[in-house]
Amino acid sequence: MENLFDKWKTKIPKYSEVHKDLFNSLSQKFGAEGEKKINLGKHFSTNYELYMYAFFLGLYNEEFSPIPDTEKKTDFSHHIQHWGSKTTISTRNDFTNLQENIFLSLIAKTNVDFIALEQGAIKEEEVVKALIQTMESYTNGGLILIKEKIEENPNYFLQPTSFLNLILDSKPGKTKKKKQKEDAE
Amino acid sequence: MLEGVEENKSGERVQIDGKNLLDRVFPFQIRKYSMFKGEAELDIFKSDGALTNLINLFSDAKHYEKYSEKGSFLRDKAEKAVEDSTKSDKNKEAAYKKLEWDIKQLEDEKYKLSIHLNSTEEEIRKIEGNLQAAGSYVKNATALDTINTRIKNLDERISDMHRKIDENYTTSLFDESWIAVNFETIHHEFAEKVSQLSIDRRKLQSEFDKQKGIKEGERKARAELLNNAVPLPIGIPSKAHMEEMLRDQICKVCNREALKDSDPYKFMMKRLDEYLTSQAHKEEKEEPTTSEEPLFKNDYTNRLVNLGVSHEDNLKNLRGVRTKIKDLFEFNADRKKDIEELNEQLEKEKAERDKILGNSSIAEEKLVDVLKNYNSWQDDLKHRNRENVDYNARLKVVSTDLKAKKDEKDGIDLKSANLFLIKTRAILRDIETIFKDTKEMKFDEFIAKLQTKSNSFFGKINIESFTGTIVFTKRIKANKSYVEIELQEEGRTFYKPNQSLLTSMHISILFAISELASEIKEENFPMIFDAPTSSFGENKTAEFLNLIYETENQKILLIKDFLSTDKETKALSIKNEFEHVKRNKAFWIKLERPFDKNNLKTLNTQVITL
Repeated sequence: MENLFDKWKTKIPKYSEVHKDLFNSLSQKFGAEGEKKINLGKHFSTNYELYMYAFFLGLYNEEFSPIPDTEKKTDFSHHIQHWGSKTTISTRNDFTNLQENIFLSLIAKTNVDFIALEQGAIKEEEVVKALIQTMESYTNGGLILIKEKIEENPNYFLQPTSFLNLILDSKPGKTKKKKQKEDAE
Repeated sequence: MLEGVEENKSGERVQIDGKNLLDRVFPFQIRKYSMFKGEAELDIFKSDGALTNLINLFSDAKHYEKYSEKGSFLRDKAEKAVEDSTKSDKNKEAAYKKLEWDIKQLEDEKYKLSIHLNSTEEEIRKIEGNLQAAGSYVKNATALDTINTRIKNLDERISDMHRKIDENYTTSLFDESWIAVNFETIHHEFAEKVSQLSIDRRKLQSEFDKQKGIKEGERKARAELLNNAVPLPIGIPSKAHMEEMLRDQICKVCNREALKDSDPYKFMMKRLDEYLTSQAHKEEKEEPTTSEEPLFKNDYTNRLVNLGVSHEDNLKNLRGVRTKIKDLFEFNADRKKDIEELNEQLEKEKAERDKILGNSSIAEEKLVDVLKNYNSWQDDLKHRNRENVDYNARLKVVSTDLKAKKDEKDGIDLKSANLFLIKTRAILRDIETIFKDTKEMKFDEFIAKLQTKSNSFFGKINIESFTGTIVFTKRIKANKSYVEIELQEEGRTFYKPNQSLLTSMHISILFAISELASEIKEENFPMIFDAPTSSFGENKTAEFLNLIYETENQKILLIKDFLSTDKETKALSIKNEFEHVKRNKAFWIKLERPFDKNNLKTLNTQVITL
């Protein structure tokens, strides 16, 4: 029985260099657990947490925005399978469940001809590539949303509840209806 | 300028270099701890290494130093040999290197934390000292103590509340999977897609089988389902369930009778047979004998279906997330309200404390200074204590992680390295531990002895008055151990001893060292004090001198006590009290009178044996 999940999680997804500043300002690159307690809730402990956050935010808001070819891509060289399994910090839980959630969404949202895949007409590698591309597109969408929030109000994320509220308020379908309403008007 | 005189065997006396002679008969390492000028110099232990050096000079620990160094050296070599041997196993190289790197990081972290911890502890001691000193200005010291305890309790309760408040919402997004809160619709989208895929796949397979007319396929094509519907996958319901339904003669899927030999019964029996043959079939032909290409070369669908099913249970948890968050918000809000109330109480207590502090025994301007500092010292102390707890907790975590990593590394060694090397390393590790522990033990033994002796002298000098206890504490700073001396009162540091108590403490320690030194070295040296007791009263000085008489080593003292001046003649004399002072020898060195004030040559020293 072949396993797309296992293949997918060996990959390193990318993001547009345009958003590099966001990663610098919103995440504690080296996992500063315990330190800087004043910053609770206002920062992510690692780059991949911000990446996952942006993905779900983009997903829930249906912001599918592929990274334009004109923008250079970059990554933080951390395989998906290692997300959450931090070596030096024993106080955190692992993210296997969330990794699966991401994978499930990618399968749901990516147009893949599974019949062709199982018949061998297309290669596994191609499918995984398509999944990663979907992942990058939603993440890019999420990062754009975060950026817009900051442009609107530079202090938006200084509240410990900001990141949480943004997720709680983004229900899939909600935005769609809103958009449809706007279109109808 | 020192002049020396040496006597040779025939009794001739010759002039020699005084400095040289002094160094020979009274080694400078010892002299440092034997000659004191005034009270200030008695505290030779203020410099970091002084006491440690001294202890090393006399304790057995110094003999073990070279062994413990050698032990470390050998263990290092053994570790290196095992590492090299493991590294030759290329399979493990990457994992091993990562572990080495992790261990190094953790060790650095641990070192950093221990430095922070040390300086915090030092800071705490300093602040406690300041507070005690300030507290002594206040008239109503008991009331101050009580109120400080109340404030401390309030502070603790407040920080306890703060600890209970969990506002780490962003971390919970991941650790508690809160971020998947809106995932349900996506999950349904996934489930629908995958189940459609599963149906399509089976449909195609069935078509394919029908077309090809394979034996197995034919059976499937004649599945005799109504409306030519796509049959369920073989093996569903499971073999056990099928057997149960056949036994009970009921189809438990549609809740209808399926009596033996009836059509439904036969249908079920056939499905079970199909399943059993499909299993047997597979076992028989490990190598596919058929030259026909199968329709599907791979099966990704099954795994996707399973993944969906396993996440189905998770949906229940996700539905509860919003309630959990709401509950947490409420809990945190309640705790914040508690904190507000406690803070109000705290302010009241602090105002009360200011009142008590205001009623004090020193001048107003100075009091303002003390008051200003008093409150900020209290705050600093609170912060430092909190930091201290925090550092300790982190140190514990890092140490546990470090141990886990080291064990993991040892685990790789066990699999990859040469067994002989591993055994050697184990032995050398033990040897190093033995050397180190022995050194520590000897050092500690000496300190314990020193402490007992010092306290016994201390008690004798301060007869029938407050002493407290002299405590020697070993501290590690930057990987070196230091010994610090503290005066304690019932287990708590006593920060504000008066000069006389401090002096007697220093003298007691010096006496103890001198006595221990003569026990160990079997040779003894005199101790020379120039006015060591100027803060002592005459009574205490007398007791002190009597005590000195009872100690074994030679002690030479220069003092200005026990003199009295006749009011009329201004003539100096020795007081009668001195008669009661026990001594071996005493000399009064006196300016010969009369002398000419304007002529230096008329000045003469008169030595009177008392």
